[in-house]
Amino acid sequence: MPAGHGLRSRTRDLFSRPFRKKGYIPLSTYLRTYKIGDYVDVKVNGAVHKGMPHKFYHGRTGRVWNVTKRAIGVEVNKQVGNRIIRKRIHVRVEHVQPSRCTEEFKLRKLKNDQLKAEAKARGEVISTKRQPEGPKPGFMVEGAMLETVTPIPYDVVNDLKGGY
Amino acid sequence: MPYVKAQKSKAYFKRYQVKFKRRREGKTDYRARNRLINQDKNKYNTPKYRLVARFTNKDIVAQIIHASISGDIVLAAAYAHELPRYGLEVGLTNYAAAYCVGLLLARRTLKQLEMDAEYEGNVEATGEDFTVEPAETRRPFRALLDVGLIRTTTGNRVFGVLKGALDGGIDIPHSDKRFAGFNKDSKQLDPEVHRKYIYGGHVAAYMRNLMEDEPEKYQSHFSEYIKRSIEPDTIEGMYKKVHAAIRASPEAKKSEKAPPKEHKRYNLKKLSYEERKAKLIDRLKALNSAAGVDNDSDEDD
Repeated sequence: MPAGHGLRSRTRDLFSRPFRKKGYIPLSTYLRTYKIGDYVDVKVNGAVHKGMPHKFYHGRTGRVWNVTKRAIGVEVNKQVGNRIIRKRIHVRVEHVQPSRCTEEFKLRKLKNDQLKAEAKARGEVISTKRQPEGPKPGFMVEGAMLETVTPIPYDVVNDLKGGY
Repeated sequence: MPYVKAQKSKAYFKRYQVKFKRRREGKTDYRARNRLINQDKNKYNTPKYRLVARFTNKDIVAQIIHASISGDIVLAAAYAHELPRYGLEVGLTNYAAAYCVGLLLARRTLKQLEMDAEYEGNVEATGEDFTVEPAETRRPFRALLDVGLIRTTTGNRVFGVLKGALDGGIDIPHSDKRFAGFNKDSKQLDPEVHRKYIYGGHVAAYMRNLMEDEPEKYQSHFSEYIKRSIEPDTIEGMYKKVHAAIRASPEAKKSEKAPPKEHKRYNLKKLSYEERKAKLIDRLKALNSAAGVDNDSDEDD
């Protein structure tokens, strides 16, 4: 019989719960709130059968565009042929985690605002742009001993003994 | 003794998945908790309050709690051991005391939220099914009953707490099927019987029964009642006074506690990170000076 391409085909390991984490899912997943515009990761929780996304979306990150009673609408990019489509799916909150992709950006925003406010108070102009790491500065090598390495003449007797 | 194969091998322990801690302690029913806490996502951060009623052997605990990721937050709490303040000293875990605790909790939360003038609730406890009506300015305070692990049978004391809270003015979705006095055949609540339970009528009846039939048992069982000269006929009046006292001043009283005594430490105190680092540096310095070697690169970084 052929393999079949049903909705949950080839998801035996993908949707299975991790080792020793089966059964009840911790309640903090239900207590989180999501606002429209947040970034979320889609990660399927095999213990909850309702509101599961298709296996394609497992591991994708998208933005929230809708919030309903028990589920969230997430807008995810999918490449179809030669173009990328923004697909809108609805997923129950058990299969969604808040994404940390913008966390670094948000923290940097706050810090930059703070730095700019301080600089304004001091009356100087600063640049908060990130600079890439430049080449390392030059330095003198210390504590180096010069050791000249010369080849040893080939000793037939000793080396052959080992090789036999 | 014959060789018995060890049941719990190393493999068993390696693969064993423990249940949640509170489930292992047998204190939380996660299935119920899940359904009580889950808030609609399109209500965002609106708290979902639950009226938690728990009974111990000598006390009743009633709390209004809402859940958060870092832990549940208690809005207000009422205990049966506070009832002596309102004039009730005996029978602190019976149905009537449960009603008093529920009433106390309801009045306390409403006072805290400054809604107590609007939502008086049912001042005269009649035993009938009473639901709070929404007033003009604010909607009533809504909570869901959380019974915990008890078996919800008709006439259980948690429903005494529920009735007390309802009459106090809190909106709790309920049905009268499990109140004391609900007749299974006629499928109707008999408010007279329920009223009897709220005012301790069942206790009074038992007292009268014992006084006639077994006076010695009456002396031993109800000794505290006798000590305070509480007669079966005065019980109802006593509870009426307690209800009035509760409505008059429901706020919680901060108890004065002496600062805890300093105890002698029997085990070594764990050192902090800085202390451990400092100890390491000292040890290395001692080693270096003892060996008589003076290194260029210093050990502390």
